[in-house]
Amino acid sequence: MESMSRTVEITVISGEDLRNNRKPIKKNAFVVIRTDSQNSCKTDMDTEGGSYPAWKQKLVVDIPMHAQFITLEVQCKTSMGDKTVGTARIPVSDFVGGYIPDNYLHFLSYRLRDYSGERNGIVNISARVKVPEYASCSRTEVGVPFGVGVPLGVGVPLGGRNFGGIVTGIPVLSNYPRNY
Amino acid sequence: MGNCFSDMEGGKQAVGGAQQRPTIASDNNNNNGGHNDAVDFFYKSHGLHPLFTQMELSLSASKLLDRDITSKSDPMVVVYAKKIDGKLEELGRTEVVLNSLNPAWIEKVTVAFQFEIVQPLVFHVYDVDTKYHNVPVKTLKLKDQEFLGEATCVLSEDPFLRISRIVESGGSVPICKTEVVNNNLNPIWKPLCLSVQQFGSKDNPLIIECFDFNSSGNHVLIGKLQKSVADLEKLHKDRSGANLTFPSSHQGHEKVLKGQLFVDQFCEKQQYSFLDYISSGFELNFMVAVDFTASNGNPRSPDSLHYIDPSGRMNSYQRAMMEVGEVIQFYDSDRRFPAWGFGGRTGDGTISHCFNMNGSAGAFEVEGVEGIMSAYANALHNVALAGPTLFGQVINTAAEIAGQSISYNRNKYFVLLIITDGVLTDLQETKDALVRASDLPLSILIVGVGGADFSQMEVLDADNGRRLESSTGRVATRDIVQFVPMREVHSGQISVVQALLEELPGQFLTYMRSRDIKPHPLHVAPTSA
Repeated sequence: MESMSRTVEITVISGEDLRNNRKPIKKNAFVVIRTDSQNSCKTDMDTEGGSYPAWKQKLVVDIPMHAQFITLEVQCKTSMGDKTVGTARIPVSDFVGGYIPDNYLHFLSYRLRDYSGERNGIVNISARVKVPEYASCSRTEVGVPFGVGVPLGVGVPLGGRNFGGIVTGIPVLSNYPRNY
Repeated sequence: MGNCFSDMEGGKQAVGGAQQRPTIASDNNNNNGGHNDAVDFFYKSHGLHPLFTQMELSLSASKLLDRDITSKSDPMVVVYAKKIDGKLEELGRTEVVLNSLNPAWIEKVTVAFQFEIVQPLVFHVYDVDTKYHNVPVKTLKLKDQEFLGEATCVLSEDPFLRISRIVESGGSVPICKTEVVNNNLNPIWKPLCLSVQQFGSKDNPLIIECFDFNSSGNHVLIGKLQKSVADLEKLHKDRSGANLTFPSSHQGHEKVLKGQLFVDQFCEKQQYSFLDYISSGFELNFMVAVDFTASNGNPRSPDSLHYIDPSGRMNSYQRAMMEVGEVIQFYDSDRRFPAWGFGGRTGDGTISHCFNMNGSAGAFEVEGVEGIMSAYANALHNVALAGPTLFGQVINTAAEIAGQSISYNRNKYFVLLIITDGVLTDLQETKDALVRASDLPLSILIVGVGGADFSQMEVLDADNGRRLESSTGRVATRDIVQFVPMREVHSGQISVVQALLEELPGQFLTYMRSRDIKPHPLHVAPTSA
């Protein structure tokens, strides 16, 4: 049922300082995202990142409308099977609702906790709710570049700034060195 | 061991290049301490041309003391500028080079070289403890490599690449290196980012060396080649490889090896600067919040930070607002500022932690610096100082304004200016508000007046690399706070412009780049060089 859940694109970006019994994990970390006890999806394994893995993988997650949290687990594959390194409980309200538009691209980070509740590293993700087609036509996507002719938001041009009634032009130094 | 620092990943990480880490809070090691184009823009637009040029320092050392027992030292350099009062301000630091008494560091330190001014620089060299104890199983000797010839690459285990630029004196300066890939004869390294500033021109020859990593520091050269960036681009398009070479025992000759270098990915990307955004119509919108708590002292007492001087001389808050306001109104497009107070008892007798300074119930915006000053004077005569000092509510109000603006205008970036004496009551609630706000187009500038203990402000600034964490376990996505103590500005160490804009352009760019928001095209089509 369409109205019973919402679709969220979650990009699992990276992890920081992941440990297993206080020792930095060496390899084979992956992430499992659970929306309820029956449904989950997971990333590929990062075989080389060690305790600072980078997945940069997008998962499409269906979250029930009534759900208040989703669970993110970082696990690593060991010779004795998969071991949960840390868990984060993510409130759905962090990327749904409030005064921010629905299709905003959120960048979020969470402290992971190990099985005994100790702090264990950080996980970085981004999340965006997929807005149904009929609604997305009426609003501008975040990050989509405008064409030259499309009118932009209301703004005073930099060169036409008004200081106390006198219009002062500020030259734009087009050859200013770019150091970023 | 001298001063000890943790060596992340045992010296196997990639170094140099133009690394972008949008989701990791920035630390002190930005190595660009001398330059800020937003400050340059302010001065230049006021007719003051900067009398300085950027210098990039490449560092190497030799004959260092061998302080480790079981291995050589693991050196790094920290570069400081010595201030007038003798204090050292860190400008940048290098990476750690494992087990070397004669290191050539890759990371560069940028310094603003000012003419006609004596600029004392202090260099500290530290031996860093290594956490890495894994030693490659086999250490290749030069004689063995010569004997094996073309078979050398077969024996490599832990390869990494180093890229160097040839300089005019004939030598080479390393500009970046890849991470070490363990136990791999066909390694695929992670992407490196290079800027034109680093390699000079696409046709400049670069030296690319492939080493077998050795924790003793004596990395064994597997092979090398000389290519320009244009050559690498051609290799990528043709999907062809280039053979590595190895210097042979005969003078001047090089042995061509079977091992090859391929360019799997080549992507040329235009990186926009802060001024590119501002020039194309992006706006900074400033908001002001002033501390009206009792810790500032009774306004009728001369030692109060809010003292109402009968002669008309400005108190600490007025001086801060005047100096700071001149800078922020330059960057604000409409020069209208929401102006709040917090911690005061308003006319109806309640303590408010976010009230409009102009006394109006509805509109909270004032016009220009004059508007801020008159709203402040109005509040001072109508509000009683109370407490406690809470930042959380004004931050949440600013965050709501920033969040709502996303719906109708992506061009706006908001800056909340909090002027306070720094004695804070709701540290955790403030952290919670800052963590939530780090996902929004918002930065926080905390201006500290008076001589109180500002240690809580330093915690919020998070320049020590520890990311702010909320009570629910959410972590700040990026660092959005900068703390500016006015006593440092008034002592002449730094200008008010430098202090306020030190981190703001970086915070702005981190937000824009992570969401792939680009400046609007100008009338002249930008050349994608």
